[in-house]
Amino acid sequence: MSLHILDIVENSLAAGARRVEIRIAEDLSADRMMVEIKDDGCGMDEEMAQKALDPFFTTKTVRRVGLGLPLLAEACRTTGGDLSLQSCPGKGTTVRATFQCSHIDRKPLGPMADTLMTLIVGHPEVELIYEQRKDGKVFSLDTREIQADLGDIPLNAPEVVPTLRALIQNGLEELEG
Amino acid sequence: MTLREAAEKLGMKPVSGHSRLSREFTRGYVSDLLSDVMANAKAGDVWVTLQVHQNIVAVAALKELAAVILIGGRQPERQTLAKAEAENIPLLLTELPAFEVAGRLYQMGISGKG
Repeated sequence: MSLHILDIVENSLAAGARRVEIRIAEDLSADRMMVEIKDDGCGMDEEMAQKALDPFFTTKTVRRVGLGLPLLAEACRTTGGDLSLQSCPGKGTTVRATFQCSHIDRKPLGPMADTLMTLIVGHPEVELIYEQRKDGKVFSLDTREIQADLGDIPLNAPEVVPTLRALIQNGLEELEG
Repeated sequence: MTLREAAEKLGMKPVSGHSRLSREFTRGYVSDLLSDVMANAKAGDVWVTLQVHQNIVAVAALKELAAVILIGGRQPERQTLAKAEAENIPLLLTELPAFEVAGRLYQMGISGKG
């Protein structure tokens, strides 16, 4: 699942997003997991938003297929969930994917720390807000707040990266109990 | 061996990409994880899977696979068939399970590696 999230956020960045919010919530009592990715990129009109789920539609020029959203949509569908995409030109896009927690084919979340570090190191200029909730516990991260603490030192500075990774890893491990 | 020969020997029914059935193939790949196929299948492979969503056609096109064999009596979704025809990608249908398909192809000289 972490790779799906990375894929979708890469779409956001390609659309010129400067702020990306990733929210993950596992509600075991409702047997529902929700992943939401919201960006402030260029957004899409209704026609393009409908095409976005077509695996043969892509804005990229290096290949003929765009599989990020279609694969995520299928992953939702086969695990009793759904995918919705809301977008507005000039305002951004929100992708919301839901899954049935207990479904045997639901993929694990996977190494979210790796996904987050890949995004932060590769795009330190982008404000990344991450929030993951499970069993009443929350782990959250806002790279703008971290950057404010660092001052002029970039988020992807060699001396910052290991500490940032440890912060994220420890936070996520506490969430998993 | 050509796709047509394989279809006849295994009793598989081609439902798309008929103009490409004379294509020779020497390798096969079995997986139901599209990410795995994207990472590890090679151009020219025949892909054996139970997935029937249109994404399989996109993956087959992306990886330049020779054909996709849908196992276990599964039918391609309507959009899958339409995309396969548009992309001229052979879909071969069989009642056989994946293990049987792979085993028989292997006995006929189709490899899984190399």
